[in-house]
Amino acid sequence: MAVSEKVMPSISARPSFWLRLRDALAPLLASKVALVGLALVLFWVLVAIFAPFLTPYSPREQDADAMNLGPSAGHPLGTDHLGRDLWSRLVYGSRLILVLAPLSVLCSLAVGTTLGLLAGYFGGLIDEVVMRLLDAMMAFPAVLLYLIIIAAVGASATNVVIAITIAGAPGIARLVRSLTMDIRTRDYIAAAQLRGESPFYIMWVEILPNARGPIIVDAMLRVGYAVFAIGTLGFLGLGLPPPAPDWGSMVCAGRRYIWSNPWAVLWPSLAISSLVVGLNLFADGLREETMRYQ
Amino acid sequence: MLVKDYMTKHPLMGQPTMSVVEAQRFMGENKIRHLPIVGKGKRLLGLVTRQTLLVHPAKLGSLNVWEITRFLSNLTVGDVMVKAKDVISVDKNATIEEAARIMVENKIGCLPVLEDGIVIGIITEIDLLAQLMEMMATRLPGVRVTVRMPNVSGELAKLVSAISAQGWGILACGGVPSPHDPAKWDAVVKIRDAPREAVVAALEKVEGQQIVDVREV
Amino acid sequence: MRVDFEQITDMDYRIKTPILKVENLAISYETRKGDVPAVRDVSFEIRRGETHGIVGESGCGKSTVAFSIVNFLGRNGRIVGGSILFQGQELRGRGEEELRRLRGDQIAMVYQDPMSALNPSLRIGDQLSEVLIVHRNLSKKAAYEKCIDMLKRVYMPDPEAVMLRYPHQLSGGQQQRVVIAMALLNNPALLIMDEPTTALDVTVEAAVLDLIDELRREFDTAIMYISHNLGVIARVSDLVGVMYAGEMVERAAVEEVFLNPLHPYTQGLMRCVPKLGLSKESSYLYPIRGRVPSPAELPPGCIFEPRCDYARPQCQQAHPELREVAPGHFARCHFAEEIAAQKWQPPQDLIPDLAALAARKPEVAEPILRLQQVKTYYEQERKSLASLLGLGQARYVKAVDDVSLEVPRGCTLGVVGESGCGKSTLAKTIVGLEPLTDGRVEFMGFDISVPVSKRDLSLIKELQMVFQNPDSTMNPSFSVGYQIGRPLRRFRGVPRHQVRDEVIRLLEAVKLDASYYDRLPRQLSGGEKQRVGIARAFAARPNLVLCDEPVSSLDVSVQAAVLNLLLEIQQKYGTTMLFIAHDLSVVRFFSDFVAVMYLGKICEIGPAEAIYAPPYHPYTEALLSAVPIPDPSADQKRIRLSGTVPSALHPPSGCRFHTRCPRKIGEICEREIPPCQHVTAEHRIYCHIPLEELRRIEPVVTVK
Repeated sequence: MAVSEKVMPSISARPSFWLRLRDALAPLLASKVALVGLALVLFWVLVAIFAPFLTPYSPREQDADAMNLGPSAGHPLGTDHLGRDLWSRLVYGSRLILVLAPLSVLCSLAVGTTLGLLAGYFGGLIDEVVMRLLDAMMAFPAVLLYLIIIAAVGASATNVVIAITIAGAPGIARLVRSLTMDIRTRDYIAAAQLRGESPFYIMWVEILPNARGPIIVDAMLRVGYAVFAIGTLGFLGLGLPPPAPDWGSMVCAGRRYIWSNPWAVLWPSLAISSLVVGLNLFADGLREETMRYQ
Repeated sequence: MLVKDYMTKHPLMGQPTMSVVEAQRFMGENKIRHLPIVGKGKRLLGLVTRQTLLVHPAKLGSLNVWEITRFLSNLTVGDVMVKAKDVISVDKNATIEEAARIMVENKIGCLPVLEDGIVIGIITEIDLLAQLMEMMATRLPGVRVTVRMPNVSGELAKLVSAISAQGWGILACGGVPSPHDPAKWDAVVKIRDAPREAVVAALEKVEGQQIVDVREV
Repeated sequence: MRVDFEQITDMDYRIKTPILKVENLAISYETRKGDVPAVRDVSFEIRRGETHGIVGESGCGKSTVAFSIVNFLGRNGRIVGGSILFQGQELRGRGEEELRRLRGDQIAMVYQDPMSALNPSLRIGDQLSEVLIVHRNLSKKAAYEKCIDMLKRVYMPDPEAVMLRYPHQLSGGQQQRVVIAMALLNNPALLIMDEPTTALDVTVEAAVLDLIDELRREFDTAIMYISHNLGVIARVSDLVGVMYAGEMVERAAVEEVFLNPLHPYTQGLMRCVPKLGLSKESSYLYPIRGRVPSPAELPPGCIFEPRCDYARPQCQQAHPELREVAPGHFARCHFAEEIAAQKWQPPQDLIPDLAALAARKPEVAEPILRLQQVKTYYEQERKSLASLLGLGQARYVKAVDDVSLEVPRGCTLGVVGESGCGKSTLAKTIVGLEPLTDGRVEFMGFDISVPVSKRDLSLIKELQMVFQNPDSTMNPSFSVGYQIGRPLRRFRGVPRHQVRDEVIRLLEAVKLDASYYDRLPRQLSGGEKQRVGIARAFAARPNLVLCDEPVSSLDVSVQAAVLNLLLEIQQKYGTTMLFIAHDLSVVRFFSDFVAVMYLGKICEIGPAEAIYAPPYHPYTEALLSAVPIPDPSADQKRIRLSGTVPSALHPPSGCRFHTRCPRKIGEICEREIPPCQHVTAEHRIYCHIPLEELRRIEPVVTVK
């Protein structure tokens, strides 16, 4: 009994997991924009998860009898120039893109955050060197950077991730650096220094958690850009190698038959834009809602 | 004793869009008789007095009851006010007697005080009367003596030195040409901390002057 | 015999219609959790030429009342009841356009931050004359002349030059003068001032307050003056309204409120503020228990009942109305008459331990901290082309210049001075957050003239700091328990399973209970955050704690509690303290020794009681004469410093204070660095004026 009494106050003081989850979701549920975005994104996530149950065809299965068809009962969205079912290609393509895009953003987050923290916390020479290098990289247009990198290392899923990581890291580093420089002046950082904490501890434990809000919103937007970038690379033929159901390369392939079969271009384009719009709406709504009552 | 020191600063003001009925209520509620009407930047557009708010019966003669109601409710202050170009105003650096003269000559009860066409205050007959009251130290106790003296310079000085010889102080002092004798001058002094009998005794001794009235107030 | 002219003006014949009459005003804010009543049942009126002070702690709704008058409540605020009569016309329930017309150019507002009213990209002259050109259709030339006139009236030095400058080229006090001048250009009937001097230094504040008082007489403007500072309110107001949690709890003439407060809250506030000259040995601050209720969860009866020493059952049930207890004196309390009649007794749990009070004065022991000619310079960033090429000389901001002092073990050294005097830099230099340029810092006999990262962990442990800003003193991402426990884990080697118990012991030492262990900083009030900050600083039982303005951003009732707490902990652990503050009353109350700093140098240092009595350094004298005292009957000499604090980049030669010194004796002040004159062994004054002359100066403040 004595034990439970001692523990009681702490339990009552700390809200339960579900309460905290509700608090965290409150801004999301309050914003209609964010909800619309979330619905679009969730749609594609569910489609990706349940892909095999949503279509009878394999994405690579060719049917010489049914080429460049419009929507019909057998092929709800039609077929492409090789007679592949467009719906099943979209469905399986969503699996690819929903793995590659977040993965590449995570990688650029890791690189960008590290560089930004170092530059922002130490300042001085480290800051100068790191930021000038990153500035130089940002001076290239993103597409050009992708082209250079892919051209250098070859087209594959891994290399697409690498390209997006390299192109995305400087932006994140800038954001993290400015947040770090702001947070560094807070009194709790001085308190940590007065405890003789190591710079590593201060950067990762004291500063980073307080910068997470803007970083998360930024990352959301970046997933959208990454989807966009993967689509672009696919369209340019620098994405995943041909048989893969990549949305960008689908647009590229359909483009040649656009007058006879516009569906083959329309559907993948719609898929890309709906996912990008969904991610952006979600990020925007989230940001606005968290700022409204401040 | 300049207008700027005795005017009412920040007077209540109205807008030309105010209806006449509203203006009447507003002036009644706040117990004011004059309402400067201003536009943007407190620029004077006109002046409304209780009289200007009275609608001339001739205007209503030809109307029936319903038309009268509508006419009245549509009537705005802007329609009935004395327009700015006809309003007589005063500068803030004028003396209060100058303000009084303007009011007396024009038989009006109030003067807006303007600076570059902007209303900065208002001075009314009540303000002037209040100053008359203050000049006569109405609210302080003392002996008020009216002395009739020849209209010759040096006479007031004689009176004052007679008072100061007794060690008394003067609360207020004023003079006007005697209403009864054009060659004489009536001076009023209010003396403090002095018994009435002693004042009479002391002032009776002043040569050529005559006590017209003594009272303790 | 003298005629009492005061009496005459009192009996002014004019019927003074109130310029502003607020009746039963109620304002609500819409939030995610529903409507929150921020202001309820507030009534007051302001007449021509009157200053109505509104005083209250943060969050009591005083600014909300001001915003409702100028219709700045924002998207989620609205007036839900009562009326606002301005110049006889109702403002509530009118459309935006109509409101603008009704208020016309008759209401002006001055905010705490002058920069929010000034356009940073326009010259002062253009901003000022625009008001006249737009509103009055004056010609450019006429407007310019009027603006110069107005700047002269607010005692702006060199108005022609000021007209050509941009806002950022003026000091804070000058900016506020420009804003006041701008507000008065339209000759408003009502001037709302929301904490106009809060961001200013005390000497500048005193000058601005003088100015406000003078202008009110000249322009016959009604002023609504909002402040949290009781001293400032006592100085400027004719009438005072005390607000608490959205209600006005007391309203009366200023002398009545301060000398004869009727509401228990007002009385409590008066007991929270250290009076200038009182010390911790001779007095005790009585904080108000508990905390201000959140406007969403108000008690059903009297809103002050949970914190009131006189609370009775009736107070819990019936909500008291604001009623006239004495003529012209309104209070919102059921038992105001009874409370006024009886003498206040500190409640049982607040009675100070007299034995502890007596023992508080430590014996003067050997110095634990010794500073020898410490200099901290910052290199000014160079922007010119020449310096880019490595030419030209580096320029230094001399934040701390040649400071020597000693702090005996177990004592408290208070450091006072205006902003920019280097007091915070001094603290940062001692703890090692700023590198030392020259000199030597010795702590417990060890040389600690190196940055904190190069110090030994055992020395780091002995030197901790309490910070000013409660919002940034705690890391918002971690629980209170973790943050207090961190120094324990690092320094004390407390076994992991005992850390929690130790943290709870520390929480109890700062009067918080164990339930705070898992809370996040955002769930705490400002005072609670500051307590946690104190617990964290004292967790490792350091020998020396530096407190950098630990109470200056707290409300007075909380401030008293935190000061008491610091005293108690210091007593318990025998800690030495360096206490930095700009509030002279607080420093006097808290410290055994006081150092007065000006532009990086110490002007005067000595035992606290000696600093606050003659002989004074002229700067100390000026500071003391500027302190706003929450007592309208206190007699205070009026010494106003001219000019502004010179830049630390080019400090004046000789005595740094000579540019503003009212007692400057001649060229020697400009040429030579003032000598150190020993009044007693411990009391040093750095001034050219001979001690005998300084001794003849009369005390600045006399309380009747």
